[in-house]
Amino acid sequence: MTMAHTNSSIHPQQYHSLSTAVLTQAEQQDRWLTGSELKAFSDFFSSGSKRLAVVEKLGQQSQVIISAAADRIFYNGSAMAYLPSPPNRENLPGYTLPPRQSAARPKERLKLQIPSYGNPLRGLLETLKNQFSSDREPLPSGFRPINIQRYGKARMQRSMRDLDWFLRYIIYAIAAGDCSIITINVRGLRGVIPEDVTEATVLSIQEMRWRALQYFKGDAEAIQLICEPFDVMIAQYRVEKPPMQPRPGVSSEQQGLQLPESYRLTQPRFVMQSLLAETEKQAVIRAAYRQVFERDITQEYGLALTDLESRYRSSEFSTQEFVRQLGHSRLYRDLFYEPFSISRMIELAVRHFLGRGIYSLSEFQTYFERVSEEGLKSFVNMLVDSAEYAEYFGEATVPYLRGLGQEAQQCRNWSAQLNLFKPKASTQKHPEFVTQFSSQQPNQHVYGAGNDCLEIQFGAIFPSQGGVATQPTADHRRILIGCQPDQASGWGKVPGAPSEVIRLSARPQKMEQGGSIDLRHHSAEAVIQAAYRQILGREPFSGQRLTPAEAKLKSGEITLREFVRRLAKSQPFRELYWDSLYITKAIEYIHRRLIGRPTYGRAEMGRYYDICAKQGFYGLIDALVDSAEYLEAFDENTLPYERYITPRGYDLRSRHHPNCSISPVSGVRVADGTWVQEAMQRNRAQTARINGHSIKPDLSNLTESLTPESPTPEPQSEPEHDEQALAVGAASY
Amino acid sequence: MSLVTELILSADSEARYPAPKEIRIFQDFVRTGDQRIRIAGILAENEQRIVDNASAKFWERCPVTPSNSGNPRKTASCQRDQGWYVRLVAYSILAGSEKPLAEIGTVGIKEMYNSLEIPLRNLVEAMRCVKDEAVSLLSPEDAVEVAPYFDYIIRALS
Repeated sequence: MTMAHTNSSIHPQQYHSLSTAVLTQAEQQDRWLTGSELKAFSDFFSSGSKRLAVVEKLGQQSQVIISAAADRIFYNGSAMAYLPSPPNRENLPGYTLPPRQSAARPKERLKLQIPSYGNPLRGLLETLKNQFSSDREPLPSGFRPINIQRYGKARMQRSMRDLDWFLRYIIYAIAAGDCSIITINVRGLRGVIPEDVTEATVLSIQEMRWRALQYFKGDAEAIQLICEPFDVMIAQYRVEKPPMQPRPGVSSEQQGLQLPESYRLTQPRFVMQSLLAETEKQAVIRAAYRQVFERDITQEYGLALTDLESRYRSSEFSTQEFVRQLGHSRLYRDLFYEPFSISRMIELAVRHFLGRGIYSLSEFQTYFERVSEEGLKSFVNMLVDSAEYAEYFGEATVPYLRGLGQEAQQCRNWSAQLNLFKPKASTQKHPEFVTQFSSQQPNQHVYGAGNDCLEIQFGAIFPSQGGVATQPTADHRRILIGCQPDQASGWGKVPGAPSEVIRLSARPQKMEQGGSIDLRHHSAEAVIQAAYRQILGREPFSGQRLTPAEAKLKSGEITLREFVRRLAKSQPFRELYWDSLYITKAIEYIHRRLIGRPTYGRAEMGRYYDICAKQGFYGLIDALVDSAEYLEAFDENTLPYERYITPRGYDLRSRHHPNCSISPVSGVRVADGTWVQEAMQRNRAQTARINGHSIKPDLSNLTESLTPESPTPEPQSEPEHDEQALAVGAASY
Repeated sequence: MSLVTELILSADSEARYPAPKEIRIFQDFVRTGDQRIRIAGILAENEQRIVDNASAKFWERCPVTPSNSGNPRKTASCQRDQGWYVRLVAYSILAGSEKPLAEIGTVGIKEMYNSLEIPLRNLVEAMRCVKDEAVSLLSPEDAVEVAPYFDYIIRALS
């Protein structure tokens, strides 16, 4: 007798003894026990002593019974040797020593165990006796006993443990007077125990039954008590292993797309049929409301729905059409369209109409496009008319949540999908699926956004990272935004990017007539100053200047490239960008300083790691300064400048960013230097105008960066545009 | 949850056969089976009488109480509750364990009556009256079986 379980997830299965089963039933109906129930009780009590006798006897003889069962299906060895001995619990809390009277029992048990262990003659006799007894189940034809030696130790131990368990639960069931404990523990076991031993298992249970009955020959009551649980157990064990449920419409080879039947929760599906009774139709309608609106809809939600409902009830249109109309209703718009961003609204709509979460970014993009171009109605139509909807729900079924216990789940969107199925989903305003994909966009550092240098943002200590960094593949490249100065228009200028390229002119003294500005910017002094600013990131402190190298550069003994190399190998640079940083970030910093762009991806980083490990800091500097890209972009006498920035950096510098400190009026924020300030004062008006435009990016500046060594057009340095040179310093901070 | 299920549960959690001691407990339970059924029968037959007599006694002791306020709905619901407790005690006696009483009747009972604004002290008094009334109906040896369950309810209430 078991309780009527409606839903196993709500009412966890509990086994009953006879008394609880009867009491539970009476309690649920709020009544005293009926005569027949009291009769069941009194039977239970009157058969109690017999039950106990059986329980006690079987408990004592458990070893014998198990060994008999094992001998039936195993050969070539002692199966009982694999039976794990019960753990010693004497010192554990709660253990009570068995009373004295059972002291004689161990001896008896030992004696009885002998046939299975040692004495071959006795064992033979026993076997012969067993073979000729008539009431045993005959061996099924084609059954071959299992060879213990070949079966293996682990599997033998498991088999013997299982036999022990079977007997134990049978004893419990006899004591309880109710077989629910067997049903609960044995059903579905066939799916766990290998299929090829099903026959052997059943045979061994039958053998146990036969063996147990031997102790109670001629005692009809005891025989009945023993037979009942054994029969239930065999019947339950023979129940076919439940089939796997593949997700419909997808190939069964895909990972994670099968759900074992035993995990399946039975949830009612609501199907509208014209023959249904009025109350059943009402239930279907309510289910549709709960699915689409996530609530019951009552009169106060308006007449429009009432009309719709009555037409649906009179079978004027199908469930699919009804669901579509609900999606088109004003109420749906009010509840789930207007209060949400489109991204979130799409997620909710997929839940309402398809009963699942979004599977992929491309799917999301399709939906997003549809919503933004054609609106909610068209989007709802798209979902309801989809092949998936037809496959799962068809014309008549009300959509349901295809969540846990309904269908095998993809593990890709696991957490977001589970959240979407919770009742609180519609109170959450921000999208979950899109933000989940955000970390996969190829615009961040391959080893995590934290490895990028801190962009220019004063007051910020840690870069804010959205999402979790994913591990891109080796040929993954991030998108970079080019910031070549475009002097012609001033449009598309990246804020804070250099607006002029500093070159060491070979003959500055010859151009006196060009004006003092030219001399200021391209004299050796100015170039050295700018070099410090670019490479070191700031003006050097007094003790940090590379005076000998400066002198050599001025005298033309070394090129600017050589000067950059020496500067990069200097102690201050090393302390700033190498000693205090971990390797990935150090490479990133140095790379930006010397090559003028962020690193692309793992292939590139891998090369640098190799150099760092084998040649160290100085090797890395040499490798960068001697690289083909350096020579191509800057040649011998051009100072490295910032050629690319990351989209995040661009975002931080743009005027809309809260951390941006470039005010549109004063235009630029740069390190000082008298020449900068002078130029600034003179050209303030012009600079302001240019920077006012600068927030609009030009698409041509957004490089896909597929070829890292692609030659960047070298900008012409034109002395007339001196006023914008003041941004050079800013870019390198 | 009956005594039998409890025993099985504890044996199952240690994966062993029922111990001799447990079997002895079980035997005692079985031996008293007739007595249990008898007690349950007496309580079932006399439920109404127990409740009525107990109410009369209770109102003598504590005249100012919701069930004696003249509002027939309040009186009826209080007496219904008392009848329920008598029934639960009968269940518990049959099961040989106070678990049915606890699971169905006493968990959260205090909070419930507090939220209904019923004075707990009066309720305890009423339960005492029910207990006295039930015990007076039974023979002394039956009374010994029954009294602890009523005490259990009283303890849960006070």
